[in-house]
Amino acid sequence: MTLTENLFDNLRLELRRGCLTLAVLAELHQEYYGYTLRKALAERGLEIDESTLYPLLRRLEAQGLLSSEWREEEKRNKRFYRLSSDGEEIFGQLLNEWKTINASINKIL
Amino acid sequence: MELLDRYLEAVKKHLPWQRQDDILAELKANLEAQLEDKEAELGRPLTPGEAEDWLKQLGHPIQVAARYQPQRSLIGPSLFPYYWYVMKVALIVTAIVYVIATLVQIATQTPAEMNVLAVLLRLPDGLMRTAAWVTLVFALIEFGAARCPQKFPMLVPPTNHWLPSDLPSFMQRHGGGKKPRSFAHAVTEVIFGILFLLWWLLLPQHPYLLIGPAAFHMQSWSQFASPFQLAPAWVQFYWWVVGVNALQLAWRIAALIRGDWQRPRRAQNIVISAIGLIPVWLLLTVPNHAYLTLQHPALDMAHYCAAMNAINQLIHWNVLGIGILICLLLAWEIGSSGVNAYRKRTAAMQ
Repeated sequence: MTLTENLFDNLRLELRRGCLTLAVLAELHQEYYGYTLRKALAERGLEIDESTLYPLLRRLEAQGLLSSEWREEEKRNKRFYRLSSDGEEIFGQLLNEWKTINASINKIL
Repeated sequence: MELLDRYLEAVKKHLPWQRQDDILAELKANLEAQLEDKEAELGRPLTPGEAEDWLKQLGHPIQVAARYQPQRSLIGPSLFPYYWYVMKVALIVTAIVYVIATLVQIATQTPAEMNVLAVLLRLPDGLMRTAAWVTLVFALIEFGAARCPQKFPMLVPPTNHWLPSDLPSFMQRHGGGKKPRSFAHAVTEVIFGILFLLWWLLLPQHPYLLIGPAAFHMQSWSQFASPFQLAPAWVQFYWWVVGVNALQLAWRIAALIRGDWQRPRRAQNIVISAIGLIPVWLLLTVPNHAYLTLQHPALDMAHYCAAMNAINQLIHWNVLGIGILICLLLAWEIGSSGVNAYRKRTAAMQ
């Protein structure tokens, strides 16, 4: 990997990090478990690695933005996630922030 | 699938042990669901090669497990600038202490008693110990601040407790137009201040550090012993010089530790120059300028009286010259301070 590619990868990672959190919070207005959430996001054009998404869900839950419960589905125990009330509030604020940034970037471009 | 179980087992080893089973159960459920989807899509089980490729694409077990660990750093980015600053000061102080200890050792031991290699190796050893202690203390601060920020608010770096108006003004920073003193300059001043003080303190026991081989003539047992002795005023002079230099050194070290070595030191210079006049005044007021007296006046008066008077007169003129020089420096500092204060006042009024 060249230096430029490496730099691009790092910047892309930084750019995506916040967006992924916003997308996950947005999608979890509806209940999902890890794999189905990943599929739902991919269907809307946002691919996320398993190794990024699953720990992210844990982290957001630990921060109180998501609530979760273990439940059996198709004869298998799965952990289902949903946006918590704190998560709703933070999501609203983040969405406003994102819209403002997006509008500004569009104006700049 | 056996390969998936092996993979999960390898991930498990590196997961945080408190949540190990919970994380693993969730990961297993997700990966099994993904595997089922893949097999349903293909209409057959994955071949060993395909399974291997799939697991490889998920990432190395250590990397996968690492994502579940909380973000960890020995010293975090908010504390790091403070850590780095303290580290620099601590290493400088260690180096200074090492130099003093080595010089004292050289002065008090004969070369035969000294292990040169041990003396040379003491500095890197001391620096490493200092660095280790500073790192340990800051790692503990980071640990405390990260785990219990409410319990230890004093451990959180005071990034919000400062005022822009507390920062040195542009005029102060640039010393009224002069280039600000660099860190290296400030450190050099401290090192030379210590070396001078040390040299001065060693003089009574080792006069050869000042007058070289002539010190031999000051030994009373020598057959070439000097007929002269120093007047008691020199003892007071000596300790005043120690005091003035110690004060100046303490001021410089404090500025280095506080991080404001770039500030001009007009007030300090004025105080030091003013105090520096005291030992000079002590010498100038010695009765009859008798800086040197005869050890045995009854025996040597006739022979050495003229030489003694000439030397005393010479010392007097020199001390007077030094006194005038200090007065001029003092006047310069006071005058410069006055001009700067006037400029600042004028600038503020505009």
